[in-house]
Amino acid sequence: MSGSYEYAIDVENLVKSYDGVKNAVDDVSFQIKPGEIYGLLGKNGAGKSTTIKTLTTLVPPTSGNVTICGMELRKKASQIRKLIGVVQQEEAFDFATVERNFRIYGMLWEVPADKIQSRSEDLMELFNLKEIRKKRAFELSGGQKKRLQVAREFIHDMQVLFLDEPTAGMDPIMRRSVLDFVMGKAKEGLTVLFTTQILEEADYVCDRIGIMDLGKKVAEGTSAQLKERFGSLKKLVLTATDRIPAESIPLVRAKLATVPSVTQYEVGDREITVIGKNMGKTVYSILSSLSSLSIDIDQVNLDAPSLDDVFLEVVKK
Amino acid sequence: MKLPAMVRLTVRNVLVNTDPGTMFFMLGIPAFYLLVLGTMFQGLIPSFTQHGVTTSYTTFLAPGIVGMQAFTAGNIGGGMLWADRRWGMFEQLLVGPFRRADYLLGIMLVSVFFSLAGSGIMMALAFLINGDFNITILGAIILMAVLVLGSIFFTSLFLIISVLVRTMNAYQTITFLLFFMLDFASTAFYPVTPSTPLVLRVISTFNPLSYIVDVVRDCMLYGVSYSAWVGTGIITLLTVIFFYLSLVLYNNVRTGL
Ligand SMILES: Nc1ncnc2c1ncn2[C@@H]1O[C@H](COP(=O)(O)OP(=O)(O)OP(=O)(O)O)[C@@H](O)[C@H]1O
Ligand SMILES: [Mg+2]
Repeated sequence: MSGSYEYAIDVENLVKSYDGVKNAVDDVSFQIKPGEIYGLLGKNGAGKSTTIKTLTTLVPPTSGNVTICGMELRKKASQIRKLIGVVQQEEAFDFATVERNFRIYGMLWEVPADKIQSRSEDLMELFNLKEIRKKRAFELSGGQKKRLQVAREFIHDMQVLFLDEPTAGMDPIMRRSVLDFVMGKAKEGLTVLFTTQILEEADYVCDRIGIMDLGKKVAEGTSAQLKERFGSLKKLVLTATDRIPAESIPLVRAKLATVPSVTQYEVGDREITVIGKNMGKTVYSILSSLSSLSIDIDQVNLDAPSLDDVFLEVVKK
Repeated sequence: MKLPAMVRLTVRNVLVNTDPGTMFFMLGIPAFYLLVLGTMFQGLIPSFTQHGVTTSYTTFLAPGIVGMQAFTAGNIGGGMLWADRRWGMFEQLLVGPFRRADYLLGIMLVSVFFSLAGSGIMMALAFLINGDFNITILGAIILMAVLVLGSIFFTSLFLIISVLVRTMNAYQTITFLLFFMLDFASTAFYPVTPSTPLVLRVISTFNPLSYIVDVVRDCMLYGVSYSAWVGTGIITLLTVIFFYLSLVLYNNVRTGL
C-alpha cells in the first residue's frame, strides 16, 4: 500500500544541533526510493543516530525539510509514526519475558491476536529465540537482546524501517540471516534506512550508501560506485620474512611518508599496509627502500580497495 | 476491537507490572500489615474510640491500608517513566503509534486502576478478617474520588522525581525514604493525638497521605462530615498543583514532535 510519493524518505538540508553551537547533523540531504535499502556509514559521533532520531520524530530538526512517505515531518509526526518501524541503537525492552515482549509490542501496534501469535512464533524461530522465550529480556546476552529487539519490530506492518546498528553484538551467522531477512522484506517493498560500523555488511545489504563525517554527508553512491570513484586507490600489503625491529619502524614510516602517491600507511611488526594511487609503479620503489633498511619481504599482495578502504579514505579528509 | 492508544498503553503498563515482585509490593505488603500487624496489635489494643465511635484496631487500620494503596499505585505508575527512560522503552514508545500525551495518560490510568483494584482487594480482605464498616452511598463515592485523586497526586509526584532524578541509586533512595516517611508518619497506623511525639505530629500534618487516609476513614467508619469535605478539597488542590508541575516537567523531558 505504498502511496503516491517518489521517495519514501526525502531529506533536504537537514540540520540538527542539540546545543545551538555545534551541529550534530550538518546540512545533510539524501533521498531514498520505496523498497530501497540505504546505508549510513560513519565514525562514532558522525551523526548517524541523530539523523535517525530526527527522521523518526524523536528529536525536532533545527532546520531543513524532511518528508517520510510523502508526509512532512513537522506537520504529520503522529501519522508518520504509524507507518514506520524503529530499532534504536540503545536497547529497549519491556520488563517481561521474550515472548511477552512480542505480545505486548503487537498489542501496542494493534496487531490482531492471531497474527501476533503466528508472527511471533515465526520470528522467534527465525531469530533463534525459541529456546530463550521464557527468559526475561534483561537476562539475555547482548547479542540475544539485539536479536529480540530487531525481531520484535517485525511484529507489525510498516512502510519504512529505521535500523540503527541492528547487528551490533550478533555472531556472523545470525548477522547474515538478519541481513537476508531485511533484504527479503525490501524486495516486498519495505524501505530501509540502516546504519552500521561493519562496512562489509553495508556492502552486502545496501543498495546505496551515504558516508557521514562530523555531521556532514561526505560521499554517496552504490558500493560499486564508491569503490570506482575512489578506485584508483589500491591496497598493498607487504609481509616481512622476519619481525621488523622496533627501531626500524619509524624509519619505514619516514620512507613511506616521502612517497607522493601514498595516502595512508600502517606499519605493524610483520605487516606493512600501504594505500595509495598507482601502487603498481610504486611497489618497486617501496620494496627497494625496505631492502635498504634490510627488511626482507616474503609476500606482496595488491588488492582492489574494500569498502573499508574507501571509508577510511573519505573520512580521513 | 480497536482500543484507543492510551488504553493500549494502560494495558501494557498493567502487563509489565504483574510480575511477582511488583505484586508483592502492591498487595503482599499491605495484606501483611493488615493480617499480621492488624491482628497482632488488636491483641494489645482491644478496642479503639475515635470521633465517638468504638472500633477494633483492625477496623481502624483497614482505611489506612486502603488509603495507602493510592500511594503505592502512584509510585508504580509514576515510576514507570523512570524505568522506561532507564530501559529505553520511553523513546521506543515515542517513535511508535502514540502521542506524547497518550504515554502520560497511560501512566495516569494504570495508577488509577491499581489504586482502585488494590484498595478494593484490601477492603475485601479487611472485611473478611474483622472489618466492621459503615459505608453510605455518598461515602462510597467520596472514597472512590479520593482514591482516584490520591493516585493521580502520587503519580504526579513520582513523575516529577522520575524526570529530575537519573541515577538508579538516587531514585531508589528517594523512593525508600518517601515510603518510610509518608507511610509511617501518617494517620494510617495510629491516630495522631496531642500525646503523639511532636516530630511525628508535624510530619503527619504536612503528609498528604494523612489527608487521604482521614477522608477514607471518615467514609468507611465515621461518616462523611465537614472534615471529610475539607480533606477532599485539600487533596484536590494538591492534585491539581502537582499534576500541573509534572506536566510541565514531562513536556521538557525531550522535545519530540
Ligand atoms: N542527546 C544529545 N545531547 C547532546 N549531544 C548529543 C546528543 N546525542 C548525540 N549528541 C552528539 O551529537 C553527535 C552525533 O552523535 P550521534 O549519536 O548521532 O553519532 P553516531 O554517528 O550515531 O555515532 P555512533 O557510531 O557512536 O553511534 C556527537 O557529537 C554526540 O556527542
Ligand atoms: Mg549511533
